[in-house]
Amino acid sequence: MGRELSVMMLTWEFPPRIVGGISSHVYNLSKSLTKNGTKVYVVTCESPGAPRHEVVDGVEIFRVDSYKGPSPDFPTWVYLMNMNMQREAAAIVKSSGGDVDIFHAHDWLVANAGIGLKHIFRKPLIATMHSTQVGRNGAQYELERMIHETEYWLTYEAWKVICCSNFMVSHLRRAFMLPEDKIVMIPNGVAFEEYKCGDNDSTWFREKFALPEEKIVLFVGRLVYEKGVHVLVEAIPKVLERVNAKFVIVGSGYMREDLSNLVERMGLAHKVFFTGFLDNETLRRLQKCADVCVVPSLFEPFGIVALEAMAAETPVVASDTGGLSEIVEHDVTGVKVYPGDPDSLAWGITHVLLNEDYAKRLKSKAYEKVRERYCWDEISRRTKAIYEAVLEEYSECFWT
Amino acid sequence: MMRVIIFSWEFPPRIVGQLGEHVREIALNLVKNGVETYVVTYHDHLTGLSEEEGISVYRVTNPVRTHNGVLTWVLTLNQEVERAAANIYHNLDRRVDLIDVHDWHFIPAAVTLKEALDIPFVYSVESLEDHRSHGAESPFNIAIKSIEQLGLYETERVVVKSGWMQDEVNRIYGIPKAKIKVVPPESEAGFDEILETYSSVVGGRSIG
Repeated sequence: MGRELSVMMLTWEFPPRIVGGISSHVYNLSKSLTKNGTKVYVVTCESPGAPRHEVVDGVEIFRVDSYKGPSPDFPTWVYLMNMNMQREAAAIVKSSGGDVDIFHAHDWLVANAGIGLKHIFRKPLIATMHSTQVGRNGAQYELERMIHETEYWLTYEAWKVICCSNFMVSHLRRAFMLPEDKIVMIPNGVAFEEYKCGDNDSTWFREKFALPEEKIVLFVGRLVYEKGVHVLVEAIPKVLERVNAKFVIVGSGYMREDLSNLVERMGLAHKVFFTGFLDNETLRRLQKCADVCVVPSLFEPFGIVALEAMAAETPVVASDTGGLSEIVEHDVTGVKVYPGDPDSLAWGITHVLLNEDYAKRLKSKAYEKVRERYCWDEISRRTKAIYEAVLEEYSECFWT
Repeated sequence: MMRVIIFSWEFPPRIVGQLGEHVREIALNLVKNGVETYVVTYHDHLTGLSEEEGISVYRVTNPVRTHNGVLTWVLTLNQEVERAAANIYHNLDRRVDLIDVHDWHFIPAAVTLKEALDIPFVYSVESLEDHRSHGAESPFNIAIKSIEQLGLYETERVVVKSGWMQDEVNRIYGIPKAKIKVVPPESEAGFDEILETYSSVVGGRSIG
């Protein structure tokens, strides 16, 4: 290829807009691809205060009007947002002189835009499926089915479908009847440099979250059913029987109020701290100073927070489910517990908190493993190799 | 020879109201006047390209089968309309001179195709959401109105069937009357005026 390969990422979230894990995924992937000699355009939803067009770490970012009128429901908003995203992305492709070799869509949230652009410009589309509706909370009701079918449509139209764990490979095959050779597994990565904050004396910071005599049990994630926060809350009394601890719950979501009511009724309000959404730097520090990080998910395509804890050198207790099963090796790089089982979860947490040597062993082994397997440089190389393979096939198809 | 694509959500044999037959009459007249005429329309299962009375009809279906109303149904169907239009464009000599969109349904596709492939479009207004929903202001109605507004803003020319509708488009959306052409339906003179409108839009742009 005479010039560098060029890709347009479509994503509904990109820093500073952060809803779930897609935002930092696309940011790190784009940054790393750029470093490895790929031209990356990111087209994403606008965010208050963020410029409509900017270049960050070599990545060219465009933020589009994400439809600010009222919408009847969330999926309808997604489709309306896609209408705008597609139109603006089309203008960007044209103004770049057609300098886009591949469209890369992240989740059904940008399915319409990705599919439309693929056909209009006749360029290959690649989809990363970060999760599925079937896995999140099923596809029984009308809107859920509609989302499920939109996900199917995206995987159908994509040249290749990328997912982040072997669990997801098998899940996608079952959910969308995808042939195996259409799916590529590339694990998620973690940005180590974000945990290199040099402040050794973290006492003042720790005191913002817990009393000096309390251990910190940390949960990070959206407060939604499939993340299993309610399982953690049920496990709290069992942990407190043996260890004095503060449970710090970071994130927001539709279960926030139910969860704090539950905590209130259980008489645990003084032991649980709902921080809400935290900025990146605070979160990284908190992950470093926690005594244990808990990932009690019921469904988990990957489990990036487990990886983050490992990079922050904090021991992990995680559900033995989905991608988490592949990240955590029981008794070696963390503790695995039964999903949806508060007794098992409480056992895992106390086991780590009461055995300091054991915890120390886990975290050093985990750090080692994460360093060798989950770095963005390697991930972007593998992603680029897929782009190149797809373009090779594309060059022989009737579209060219 | 001018190459035109008409977008319409109804076309025989699929008839919802009077739009299907109206679009067929226009298309037949274009063919008679030597215009290369395509119609991109919806049908649940009669999909693909076929030649009917000299008109090339390209029918697409909705890839997403479950919907909670016409709005989401329309918003996922638009990508198939784009695919059909892009196929016509790329499979010939990468030229489509004009798209004529009838009503709001396929405005999103027309607007994107204008941005991406530089194809101008005419927006033929059959009816407006404000009249269909009697001024209802639910998020559903507002979303449809915003699509109508986008179309009216982005189009080169609005075509309506009566002076009353010209007044309404002007009153509701603030579109200058000079941009709105009144063409009384199903008359020989009316067909000529549609053809004239197309030619003025196409002629006003340099076609490569």
